[in-house]
Amino acid sequence: MATYAQGSGHSGWSTDVATVTLGPDGIVTGWSAGARRLLGHRAPEVVGRAAAGLLLGREAPEASGLALLGSEEWSGTAALRHRDGHRVDVTLHAHPSLDRDGRPQGFVVTVAASSAASDRDRRMVEWAFDQASVGLSAHSTASGSWHLNAAAAEEDAAGAEGDDGEEGFLRCVRRVAEEGRPTRYERVVPEPASAPVRHRAWVIELWPVRDPATGEVVGVGTAAFDSSEQHSARERLALLQEAGACVGTTLNVTRTAQELADLAVPRLADFVSVDLLDSVLRGEEPVPGPVDAAVALRRVAHQSAAEGTGVPEAAIDLGGVDTYPPFAPPARALAGGRPVLTGAGDPDFARWIAGHEERTARNEEYGFHSVMATPLRARGITLGVAVFARIGDSPPFEPDDLILAEELAGRTAVGVDNARRYTRERTNALTLQRSLLPRDLPRQAAVEVAYRYLPAGSGAGVGGDWFDVVPLSGTRVGLVVGDVVGHGIHASATMGRLRTAVRTLADVDLPPDELLTHLDDLVVHLSSDKEDITEDEPYFLSGEIGATCLYAVYDPVSRVCTVASAGHIPPAVLFPDGTVELVRLTPGPLLGVGGLPFETTELELPEGSLLAFCTDGLIEARDRDVGLGLDRLCEALSRPVPSLDVTCDAILKALLPDSPADDVALLLVRTRALHADQVAAWSLPSDPSVVADARAQVSRQLAVWGLEEAAFVTELVVSELVTNAIRYGAVPIGLRLIRDRTLICEVSDASNTAPHLRRARTYDEGGRGLHMVAQLTQGWGTRQSPLGKTIWAEQPLPAG
Amino acid sequence: MAERSEDVTARRTGGPAGGTHLLGLLYPPAGRQRTYTTMQLAFVGGVAETAAVHGYDLLLSPAGSCTDPSFRRMVGGRLVDGVIVMEIRREDDRVGYLADCGFPFVAIGRNHGTDAAGWVDLDFAGLAGGCVQHLADLGHSRIAFVNRSEELFDSGYGFARLGDEGYTEAMKRLLLTPRAYLCGDDLASGEEVVERILRDDPATTSLVTQNEAALEGIYRGLTRHGRSVPRDFSVVGVAASPWAEQVTPPLTAAEIPAKEMSRVAVELMVRRLTTPEERPRHVLLKPLITLRASTGRCRPVPGSEPEPEFPDFDLDF
Repeated sequence: MATYAQGSGHSGWSTDVATVTLGPDGIVTGWSAGARRLLGHRAPEVVGRAAAGLLLGREAPEASGLALLGSEEWSGTAALRHRDGHRVDVTLHAHPSLDRDGRPQGFVVTVAASSAASDRDRRMVEWAFDQASVGLSAHSTASGSWHLNAAAAEEDAAGAEGDDGEEGFLRCVRRVAEEGRPTRYERVVPEPASAPVRHRAWVIELWPVRDPATGEVVGVGTAAFDSSEQHSARERLALLQEAGACVGTTLNVTRTAQELADLAVPRLADFVSVDLLDSVLRGEEPVPGPVDAAVALRRVAHQSAAEGTGVPEAAIDLGGVDTYPPFAPPARALAGGRPVLTGAGDPDFARWIAGHEERTARNEEYGFHSVMATPLRARGITLGVAVFARIGDSPPFEPDDLILAEELAGRTAVGVDNARRYTRERTNALTLQRSLLPRDLPRQAAVEVAYRYLPAGSGAGVGGDWFDVVPLSGTRVGLVVGDVVGHGIHASATMGRLRTAVRTLADVDLPPDELLTHLDDLVVHLSSDKEDITEDEPYFLSGEIGATCLYAVYDPVSRVCTVASAGHIPPAVLFPDGTVELVRLTPGPLLGVGGLPFETTELELPEGSLLAFCTDGLIEARDRDVGLGLDRLCEALSRPVPSLDVTCDAILKALLPDSPADDVALLLVRTRALHADQVAAWSLPSDPSVVADARAQVSRQLAVWGLEEAAFVTELVVSELVTNAIRYGAVPIGLRLIRDRTLICEVSDASNTAPHLRRARTYDEGGRGLHMVAQLTQGWGTRQSPLGKTIWAEQPLPAG
Repeated sequence: MAERSEDVTARRTGGPAGGTHLLGLLYPPAGRQRTYTTMQLAFVGGVAETAAVHGYDLLLSPAGSCTDPSFRRMVGGRLVDGVIVMEIRREDDRVGYLADCGFPFVAIGRNHGTDAAGWVDLDFAGLAGGCVQHLADLGHSRIAFVNRSEELFDSGYGFARLGDEGYTEAMKRLLLTPRAYLCGDDLASGEEVVERILRDDPATTSLVTQNEAALEGIYRGLTRHGRSVPRDFSVVGVAASPWAEQVTPPLTAAEIPAKEMSRVAVELMVRRLTTPEERPRHVLLKPLITLRASTGRCRPVPGSEPEPEFPDFDLDF
């Protein structure tokens, strides 16, 4: 352990220095009094003898043989034997005295020995080892024995750790012994429940101990430092980092709250609950700043370290509402906007617990002794409160935990607020779209309908699909399905415009091809009208509007369905005999292309045929093309099901991908037919005298139908319309009565000149008769057909 | 237009004071083997129903002549307050007898003798003309007429004659050539008449019929000639609704409103009995042609008309 610093001439603790002279052959030639004091020999006993005889045992002084032959100064250590026989460790310093030739004539050797004081010093070193405040130990590789100082022994006794830790440490010791390199070993030991910290962590430095003479590793030294503080700081950091990754993974308020609870248990607390203001859950904007005391909060999430799936500590069920009194720690946290650390010793805490029966029971059972309540605040508004609790034997929270809880709550609050805002925006967009889609389709007799509209999954936003059922004159019905390309508010808004346009054009009673032509013009116009779109808008799509639309008119009297398509998927038909086919129609150009014609296709449908109109979201999917989708649609349609609604669901189930990327509209239509007992049609000659016959005929027909009460008005309407047709129209002239939900009287002729006035005004000279018709009936109008025009008037059926 | 009877309900309870409260219906069966046809039964039912409303019961006699013992018993024995006479022939001794002895009667149908009494009838001439007009409105110009059987026509059944007259007159008015055919009241005659029509003029595109019994045969004949109704041949008729609706395609036809006619007849009868001093009323009904599926726009028979030729443009610049 002692070293002689070469060249310094001083030793750390030497006091006695003796001088001896040696001949070149190693024979003692001079013996000083100091040497006698040091070794007990007198000069006559030593002089003339070999100096080697003084050595303890056969151990040569370090490199002494070499040294005595050399002509240079030399230093070293040696163990000498006292005259009494005890060992004396000395430091030798040999100074050769040279002759003329430079050969050594002899040596003057100074012998410095450690004295009693240096022995004390050495013991002192041992004491220092033993009493070190850090745990030190030395391991001898030869004997495998351990020398522990007191601190290490205590730690060893206290850290009654599992075999795993011990095993790992020993492995590490062996590695240090083998490799001869210092290393560091860290171990974390769970503390007993009574300890002030939850875990004790150690950093143990290990180094190889070498024999200075041989360089051989003879043992391993260790020094253990308590790093519990750093460890828990690191743990907190890790928890925070994890919070960044794990809290707020979705845009779902409840899920975000639950993520906080799951993360904090059991690492920070034994029980965590998250309560939010009701307004937050509704997506509304909460009041900025702290919330007043005695606020009602809804339990959104909680988690417990208890085994099993339940959360036995919770006094409030998920979704339950609780009002915290103003003195309760959560209420104080909300009111102050700052976290509150409280526990069993706090009278307010005791009062809060005592004031709630369920809470009292839970507290008795589990023993909440340390509680942190942190407000969830984001962007200056308070959303709710998170409560962290330690129960039973767990150590109480420390101020550092409070900071951590505050940080966690802050991150969660941002996530919750994002989710709340997203929920609100999405709800708004969906509400907008829903408001643009039909809610209750109008009642009409021509068809029975069922429909579904499904928005796309959360990523894509609202879409531009729509469908519609428009009652037309003469019990006919217009069926619409369309799709504006793209997603978002812009697509929805365009959809709303197109839907309104289709309804308006349908109300004018345009045939399907003409309707689509007008719609096409509108889309071209909208596309060129870019002023309302700026590039700053989030839903900027460029001015181009791509849209498809399919318009069909079904006439239950003739059972003919007239269809025209603007690039839309054709409908599928299930005939009453069970066969299914796609309607073969000319697909037509997309809306907005402009200038290209649309073609109509006429289908005569047996009564009870089922038409399926849909948008491409149902047909197209990542894993299949349109053809396959349509095949599947036909297949799903052909399965027998009891009702249209069930069929709707069955089709969606069969075709819809798991997470639809596009929105889906599906409209199912079962056709009805009006029979001879509901429809009567007559041909009229262009002869004014026929008007009376027509009145009589109508009157007879109404008698057959049991509608004599309607005869007066109907006869008036008939004579007016027939007179007009005879006077202004062209043959053939037809008269038709339809008894459906209303009584409809139609007069058609081959002339295309329709009465100009949609509604006769008070001082119009013409249209007097029509004015009367308008007064007598609940509605009237005209429609064009390829063979002329039809004027219709509708009146309510007599009651009963 | 039918004249409306005055308030019927006032008479419902009491009926005329005195009398037998019986009405007679003189109605010889017209079907083969002298059975009542569906059409006739509809009339009988209609008359009985309305009579009951007015407080009368009905006595049905198949008498077709005043010499019939049934007729003698009913009228001579004053079994009834009045009689409704049906199947009026152009010369009908029943009408003459009733008029001579001043027995109250109403006719369903008419001839020169019924004017003294009340009658209700269909405007058969007008209906046949209306059918022609309907076809002409659809662009047809070669329109044949299928009437009832020769024997009925010869025996002077009113509507057979009137229909023929109405048809002929309408055709002449439209400057078209009338071609009327008589046809037996059965299926085979229907087929046969189509043969004759198409033999006489293969370019015929339409026909008017008031022979509902032959209708099925007419359809068959047309089908055999490859004429599809209504695509390349239109058929329009005067018929009662069961026939018109039971054929395929359903017949566009002027319907005989049996119920209405029998109702009017009873009302006229009741009026005659309650106010004998009033001048007898005459009601002529003219039902419209009910559009069903047997008529369509004229498509000329291929090859029958010269194809419209495009002028050759001789461009000499």
